[in-house]
Amino acid sequence: MMANFDVIVVGGGHAGVEAASAASRLGCRTLLITPDLERVGQMSCNPAIGGVAKGVVAREVDALGGVMGRATDASRIHFKMLNVSRGPAVWGPRAQCDRGLYTRAVRRILDEHQGLELLQGVVSGLLVQEGRVQGVTTRAGEVLGAGRVVVTAGTFLRGRIHRGSAEGIGAGREGEPASVELARALEELGLEVGRFKTGTPPRVDGRTVQYDRLERQDGDPEDYRFSAYVREELPPQRPCWITWTGSELKEVVQENLLRSAVYGGELAGKGPRYCPSIEDKIVRFPENPRHQVFLEPEGLHTHEIYLNGLSTSLPPEVQRTFIAGIPGLEQARVTRLGYAIEYDYFPPHQLRHTLEVRGIGGLYFAGQINGTTGYEEAAGQGIVAGFNAGLAAQGRGPFVLERDEAYLGVLVDDLVTKGVDEPYRLFTSRAEFRLLLRQDNAVERLGPMALDLGVLSESQSGELGAEMARRQAVREWLRKSRLAPDTVNPVLVELGSSPVSGPISARELVARPEVPVGALAGISPDAPDLTGDSAAAVAVHVRYGGYVERERARAAKLRKEARFKLGEELPYEAFLTLSWEARVKLDRIKPDHLAQASRIPGVSPADLQNLILEVRRWRGGGSQRKEAREKESSSSTLPVPRLP
Amino acid sequence: MGGDAVRVDTIVAAATPPGRGAVAVVRVSGPDALPFTCALVPVWRSQGTGPSARRATLALLRDPHHDAALDRGLITFFPGPASYTGEDLVEIGVHGSPLLVELLVEALVGLGARRAAHGEFTRRAYLNGKLDLIRAEGVADLIEADSEAAHQVAVHQVEGGLSHRLNEIRSQLLEVEALVMHHVDFPDEDDPPVPLSRILEAAQRVERRLEALLASAPEGELLREGASVVLAGRPNAGKSSLYNALLGEERAIVTAEAGTTRDALEARLSIGGFPFRLVDTAGLRTQARGIERYGIEVAERYLGGADVILLCLSASWSWGEEEEEFLRRWGRNTPLVRVRTQVDTVGAQQVPDWVVEPGTGPVASVSVRTGEGLGQLRGILKDLAFRGIAAKDPAAPVLTRRRQREAVARARDLILGFQGALAGGIPAEAAILDVREAEGALGELVGSVVTDDVLDQVFRRFCIGK
Ligand SMILES: Nc1nc2c(ncn2[C@@H]2O[C@H](COP(=O)(O)OP(=O)(O)OP(=O)(O)O)[C@@H](O)[C@H]2O)c(=O)[nH]1
Ligand SMILES: [Mg+2]
Repeated sequence: MMANFDVIVVGGGHAGVEAASAASRLGCRTLLITPDLERVGQMSCNPAIGGVAKGVVAREVDALGGVMGRATDASRIHFKMLNVSRGPAVWGPRAQCDRGLYTRAVRRILDEHQGLELLQGVVSGLLVQEGRVQGVTTRAGEVLGAGRVVVTAGTFLRGRIHRGSAEGIGAGREGEPASVELARALEELGLEVGRFKTGTPPRVDGRTVQYDRLERQDGDPEDYRFSAYVREELPPQRPCWITWTGSELKEVVQENLLRSAVYGGELAGKGPRYCPSIEDKIVRFPENPRHQVFLEPEGLHTHEIYLNGLSTSLPPEVQRTFIAGIPGLEQARVTRLGYAIEYDYFPPHQLRHTLEVRGIGGLYFAGQINGTTGYEEAAGQGIVAGFNAGLAAQGRGPFVLERDEAYLGVLVDDLVTKGVDEPYRLFTSRAEFRLLLRQDNAVERLGPMALDLGVLSESQSGELGAEMARRQAVREWLRKSRLAPDTVNPVLVELGSSPVSGPISARELVARPEVPVGALAGISPDAPDLTGDSAAAVAVHVRYGGYVERERARAAKLRKEARFKLGEELPYEAFLTLSWEARVKLDRIKPDHLAQASRIPGVSPADLQNLILEVRRWRGGGSQRKEAREKESSSSTLPVPRLP
Repeated sequence: MGGDAVRVDTIVAAATPPGRGAVAVVRVSGPDALPFTCALVPVWRSQGTGPSARRATLALLRDPHHDAALDRGLITFFPGPASYTGEDLVEIGVHGSPLLVELLVEALVGLGARRAAHGEFTRRAYLNGKLDLIRAEGVADLIEADSEAAHQVAVHQVEGGLSHRLNEIRSQLLEVEALVMHHVDFPDEDDPPVPLSRILEAAQRVERRLEALLASAPEGELLREGASVVLAGRPNAGKSSLYNALLGEERAIVTAEAGTTRDALEARLSIGGFPFRLVDTAGLRTQARGIERYGIEVAERYLGGADVILLCLSASWSWGEEEEEFLRRWGRNTPLVRVRTQVDTVGAQQVPDWVVEPGTGPVASVSVRTGEGLGQLRGILKDLAFRGIAAKDPAAPVLTRRRQREAVARARDLILGFQGALAGGIPAEAAILDVREAEGALGELVGSVVTDDVLDQVFRRFCIGK
């Protein structure tokens, strides 16, 4: 059969864009097919990238040569580093973007890719033969061949938009049709399907907002960049505004609760706990008198304002009424109404760590189709699936990140191992090695891997080499430097830090919480540049004392466990020393190694003990095993009495 | 142990101690427990029936291989998972003859059962989630307990008192982690961040609870081992006589000759419900030679490990340089009771100076002839060794093993480390690693995180059939 492409990517959202970019950067002939080429990389909900944990993911995608970081830099109109009051390991870079600039940047970056073709079209079916994918068919009747297909259908699979308690409207997102055929085709492959919901808030015309009644919030003045390799031109920044809902909104929502799609019972899918609608907030925290609303500009050249915090599925007139009750929005004209959207997802325990679907060779899933929320989570899966599809097409080994290497590793492992029971979002708390997984060291962690994969351009590789060298220089200097008291004491006194009596290394000084590494700039003629992000990133390590090293040690222990390989061939149902629940879960998830098995909910430590013994025995030779079987069956020839 | 112990085969062992008795019980556990049992009962075998669940049934037992009658047995079948081991379990009660028990076990082995290893029944109970590790240890303690207090502590441990307390502390630790992480993950939410002082307070609360548990450990361990009480003093002071009197039987040789006792004698006894190990030693004298010298060395070894020392001196003798020397050497670190022996030989009014000298610990005046002062001495012993536990709510959790003490101490140290790190300016999201490791240490203790070593260590202490 015709193999026109190495890899076909279905869907042009954040997952699809990264998957297509990743596969084509490997050198694969890649096709991205999506219903509307004007909306490639569209931000369907909040026009913002990053945040706590998510910001690290955006930087990881960038470090692997992905699109998201550059597109964010090229479109960000308000930047804030979250959690600066805490330690740098949990800083979260977050950027509001100009929606239009973002999609245009994505399109521009994709167009730079060699060997990547874009096609507008709706995929309606998958060609699968003998458990291997062969290509896709389109609604227009085209047949496109490829040995690897990455499906990134987002919320389009049987998507239904709900606003009020009336029956919803089929749609992938506002104004775009849902994909029913593809959903059916995937279901016919025997895959388990689930249903989730998510929501989006209303937007208003900024010219009708009374800003003098709101609290203004400006972006950070520094030129933070997500991209480590390419310096995009940064647009000017715009302020955001904060207001609070009050008792009036509370009453309106409470009175109309049953008219909301969710509380009216129209919508059954499960929604995220941590991204609650305003209805949820009122119901679940009735004692809370007010809730924060962020007014975020949608772009430089539009007056539209996104009302972050007001996600809702209430009917149009109720939305209008409660908006009018919010200080500063009394006169506000609504431009788009909020809605809840319900869609199919495929529980991700059906995937391998490469994001390939078990049992269907060459088929990969990435993004919201796997039950996640968020652009960053989608992009992260996209790049993992894209690399793996491309590598497999080239006959190369898989690309799997460990939990101590990247949030992407945590993300994929959580999905595949634990599955999801609500839309999955990344948190710092999901990463057990969070001190190692920082936004400031993403490039150090993943840049060299990207280099090995061969997915960086020449100029990107050069940038990476220079950055690694800068950091190395700072690291060396911190360790080797001996600074005399009379040079450092004036600086220390100025910082309110206690002076020293003898020579001291810069490392020891930077270990003091009150001494930022930049303050040592110019203190010694042989010091490298200490003012930039590279030096700050190195200093983070020092700042955390031995804790980073302890985390590394724990990670090493986990890796040792990971070396005890399990594998798909194990007959878990026959491992009778395991609890019933453990047998079922292990059989469903088929972990690659012991460490993964230990993370499966319902598999107890006692089960793990027994699992090791069972696997050793099972591998210990088929003959012994057969004997044991025979012995078992002979003993069962004894009369087994029926119980009264 | 290891591999064989957890294979799901069917295991068998006598559950009652070896020797003659009114009844003996043989336990069979595993997937074939029921068919094996039925194979021993000709009626059931021929009719394809068997015992009802959880009801004692009388039946004639025959060894199917040798076709020999064994005994009439009382059979109780506990279907898994509602059994002690969590598997199908059968208890067969027969007359208490060691030979019969052996024949019965052999018949079951002939059918395909395997002789159980030490503690294997309880190990299976643990692996099947019927008990946690702490409760399994409690089972071992319960079997070994030879005093009321040790028994009480073991019962509460089996019932889950200590496990419950440890799990409570674990969830408090998780709460501390949640306090730290909540605002890290949701900086934009409506609620303000949790102040550091609140996190520290929560950590201190946990620390106090861990300290309270640790404080119970020295006495808790004594409860299992028995407090060692060593009798010392010059030859002929009446040590062996007192030893016999406290035990209530003539264990040690008593003569009017000085230097009668040459070796140390040890015996367990219960005083007021608490376990003790009473040790009689050779009389101490400075110019000892040969075998006597050797006896004194043995005595000194016991003194070094004593929980309480009874320094005996006849009421008719005066306090001398030997006693002063002894006090300096042994009385510093170990509770010591000065015992005036043989008080029946002197008048009540003859109270020597050293008895009233304050600040050197309790004094007891005893006579083994009249029994005078023995009750008082018992009271003093109980008080010195177990004051803390005796005063406690009997249901309060107590640490009874080194494994437990070490894990709790590690958790406590980690919590102290956490507080120190926060005070030293280490960011909370880094320092929280200490809290998580503390939680892990307690998790390992309870058995929700374990390595095979820990398991083996715990289960090695069981005897067969438990
Ligand atoms: N009247 C009287 N005689 C006692 C009492 N206790 C011990 N005696 C006598 O004192 C003598 C020594 O007693 P032991 O118990 O053998 O003394 P000991 O301290 O064990 O002596 P060594 O083993 O030789 O060190 C024996 O003749 C006992 O009968 C007592 O309470 N009253
Ligand atoms: Mg004696």
